[in-house]
Amino acid sequence: MDQRAILDHQFTVAAYAITWAIQLGYLAWLGFKWRAQKRDASRSANSSR
Amino acid sequence: MKKLAIGLYAAITVALMVWGFYQAIYVAPDEQTMHEVQRIFYYHVPSAMVAFLFFAISLAGSIGFLAFRRNRQEWAQAADAWALAGAEVGVVFCTVVLITGPLWGRRAWGIWWTWDARLTTTLVLWLIYVSYLLLRRFAAGPQVQTLAAVLGIFGALDVPIVYMSNRWWRTQHPAPVFGGDADSGIKDPAMLHAFGWNVLAWLAWGFLILVLRYHVERQHQKFAAQEAQEALNAVN
Repeated sequence: MDQRAILDHQFTVAAYAITWAIQLGYLAWLGFKWRAQKRDASRSANSSR
Repeated sequence: MKKLAIGLYAAITVALMVWGFYQAIYVAPDEQTMHEVQRIFYYHVPSAMVAFLFFAISLAGSIGFLAFRRNRQEWAQAADAWALAGAEVGVVFCTVVLITGPLWGRRAWGIWWTWDARLTTTLVLWLIYVSYLLLRRFAAGPQVQTLAAVLGIFGALDVPIVYMSNRWWRTQHPAPVFGGDADSGIKDPAMLHAFGWNVLAWLAWGFLILVLRYHVERQHQKFAAQEAQEALNAVN
């Protein structure tokens, strides 16, 4: 494998890995946000009783 | 039943993602001039397509909010939630576009960035929608949703400019994949299949997180309305 092919491979791997890191990172943030909201809503419901 | 449908959709989406990845990396042939780095295209272009679609959903939601805000509050809130979800998930996909593009450009052109019309208008689009999200995050008061809707509509005006930029102006960015000249576009059927599967996979993934974001926002709206009502009751 020549130097050019190695660099091409590394850049391609980086592009795919960054894409997945962004997408899964956003999904995880959304999941945390959802759970926090549910927790706040149930806490609020309990305190208003 | 609803949980089963969501689970089934998520499973199909994951299967599509795996299949799309397999097609892009193992099935599609090496491009003759750019070789392996051309495979970035299978993630870059579908991400741009999904971003454009979600900014269009944000536009529709913004128009819906402005249309219904005075007479149909519930519809207006739902439209606003779609506007926010479309803008936020659109920014996620647009970020992918703005990172994978320079990675490809560094190998193909020898530079990370150039102020070419396609790249610049895409960056402006991203900045407009990031400012939309910042407005919604940090501004307070009864006019925030209205201001955000107006900004969302103006932001969406940039989408056709981005799309047409490499047709209207001479750019360093490659020619359009679809709707370009006779010698542009994908010729190899294996490449076309890999591209098609990845468009489908990213669309499925995008809709999954878009709907999830919509529900999170609706839940937030209901919680905020409930808190406001309780505060009002406490005063009275």
